[in-house]
Amino acid sequence: MARTKRPVHRAFLSGNEALARGAWQAGLKVACAYPGTPSTEILEALATYPELDVQWSVNEKVAYEVAFAAAVGGVRSLFACKHVGLNVAMDPLMTSAYTGVNAGFVIVVCDDPGMHSSQNEQDTRWVSLYAKLPMLEPANPGEALAFVGEAFALSERFDTPVIVRMTTRISHGKEDVVIGEREEVTTRALEKDFRKYVMVPGNARVRHEVLEKRLVRLKALAEKTRLNRIEEGTRSLGFITSSVTYQYVKECYPDASFLKLGMSYPFCDEKIRAFAKSVRRCVVVEELDPFLEEHVKTLGVRFAAKDPSWRLGELGPDAIGPIVRGEQRKVRKTTSRPPRLCPGCPHWATFSVLKKLGVFVAGDIGCYTLGALPPTSALHSCLCMGAGVTFNEGLRRAHPDGPIVGVVGDSTFVHSGVTGLINAVYNKSRGVIFILDNRTTAMTGGQNHPATGLTIRDEPTRELDLAALCRACGADHVDVVDPTGNLKAFEALVAERLGADALSVIIAKHPCKLIKRKL
Amino acid sequence: MNIETCNVVLGGIGGQGILKASEICGWAALYEGYHVKKSEVHGMAQRGGSVESHLRFGQRVFSPLVNRGGADFLLCFHEEEHPRLKPYLRKGGRDLLRYLDAARKLVAQEPRALNTAMVGVLSRELSIGEAAWEKALETVFPPKLLPFNRGVFFEARAMER
Repeated sequence: MARTKRPVHRAFLSGNEALARGAWQAGLKVACAYPGTPSTEILEALATYPELDVQWSVNEKVAYEVAFAAAVGGVRSLFACKHVGLNVAMDPLMTSAYTGVNAGFVIVVCDDPGMHSSQNEQDTRWVSLYAKLPMLEPANPGEALAFVGEAFALSERFDTPVIVRMTTRISHGKEDVVIGEREEVTTRALEKDFRKYVMVPGNARVRHEVLEKRLVRLKALAEKTRLNRIEEGTRSLGFITSSVTYQYVKECYPDASFLKLGMSYPFCDEKIRAFAKSVRRCVVVEELDPFLEEHVKTLGVRFAAKDPSWRLGELGPDAIGPIVRGEQRKVRKTTSRPPRLCPGCPHWATFSVLKKLGVFVAGDIGCYTLGALPPTSALHSCLCMGAGVTFNEGLRRAHPDGPIVGVVGDSTFVHSGVTGLINAVYNKSRGVIFILDNRTTAMTGGQNHPATGLTIRDEPTRELDLAALCRACGADHVDVVDPTGNLKAFEALVAERLGADALSVIIAKHPCKLIKRKL
Repeated sequence: MNIETCNVVLGGIGGQGILKASEICGWAALYEGYHVKKSEVHGMAQRGGSVESHLRFGQRVFSPLVNRGGADFLLCFHEEEHPRLKPYLRKGGRDLLRYLDAARKLVAQEPRALNTAMVGVLSRELSIGEAAWEKALETVFPPKLLPFNRGVFFEARAMER
């Protein structure tokens, strides 16, 4: 874990651990998240600092609101998520840009170029443009530690949430990092400020103007800040780049000149213009979308950018030469072994029954998504968190008597499956929803959630009773069974519920094999 | 100190302890005074899929990933993963696959320690002193598991070449 007991001043930390250390050093008080690769270890590392108030929230919207409100309340706070997790929190995010903060508030988002463990490859840099929020992009764990401190300072100076964007290679890369001590920050007063915190149209119109003016001031800062650094090298070749891509380019062209952007939004137009003019050939190199490229195009300078084929997938040191030479991306056939359900995983039993029945299985995000791959091949849709429940309803609206079921994990059900269940009951949908209850958030490495009855620090708390919750939602039948026990009886139950004109929930409850190993 | 950057690729399948192996090597390089970078992927890949970890250390390291054809050492934990990982090895780089069977035999009683045995094999090849390896093992293993793993490490380190 992030902290060693030895009094070391250098530690070997992942980007996530370094970011957590930096936030702790900056006087952080409250941190909230829902687990999601590659962001999960940020909260796990923060939980090792006993002076912090840290929680797994039920989903990203809740996490965002709790952490943001803590900042409004006057303490430095942080919200962390993966790229698709930020989508869930977009509602509070967009308007929090209007209200601003009180004490510092930092949004950490971890993108997953190459989709090592994600359902899409969205580039979160666009969120900064869309929400009009400043964005910092560390290029390695050391910068993750330093930049989060800068982000808190910026947040308070400009009265705004600040986004820190990481990627898988920064979050899960490790390096030796210089660590420091904690700075204690005093709690600010909570003020009743109707015009600032009550976003009704009359106030929001005024705050929108505040937001636009703030953006102009931030743009001026972008020109001056050391976060946007020029490294003078040869005049014949210069690169404008950011994030881990900087490291790849620096490795391949150590003698070139660099404009290394640590603050990627708002853009530092004058610095970019001056740099582009100072070198004979200027190349913009960035991972995923043409975020920098599209903007630099508007500045009227000559530069080259990557072939559009490189918008797919993650970059690496091998990509840089071909990009600089203007070549297209060659897709290498992957021979890597796909992941699969672990031997002895309780999901095997449920999937074997569903496969035998030949039903369409609507699923979503979790270990059970692996049920879609051979040899089970028994899950037929995966879009986003909680969709196992809502897909069952939607598909049944197209095929009312279709052989359709929905599956959702225990953690995912609490995250966003329960709203779908309430909707299905309210709108008189039928069918069978399986809650694959393995007593943990398994895919991200086994995190607690409300139905485990344990907090992020394994402290006992009131356990959410999933069966009682489903009954309260109005499901006609709620059965709690161990699918690995009597398989014949389980199969008979599923067939009976499937044949009934009712909305049933079957909680297939058996703990994940990996939980004990963790303890 | 060796100025040239040393590049190691470790790989196998989820559950073999590859990330732990590269963690030990990373700490050892750090204790030896190098600048270290290590890169790997958590999450879905660890559910029995392919796992690889890249480790680079030297005076100053930029990229956390090793180039194809850039690895000085390849430490492969599974024969079936070898063809996929082989292209990382540079010309003249050392492929330590030939020690995999011997390492397996060494930990036949406790197969989960294969990672420690393979690190012992690799340790002989790197410019990292024994004291740094000792400290790295102490850092990574909890006290209860340390004596056994230290034993495995040094037995593998002394293995016939």
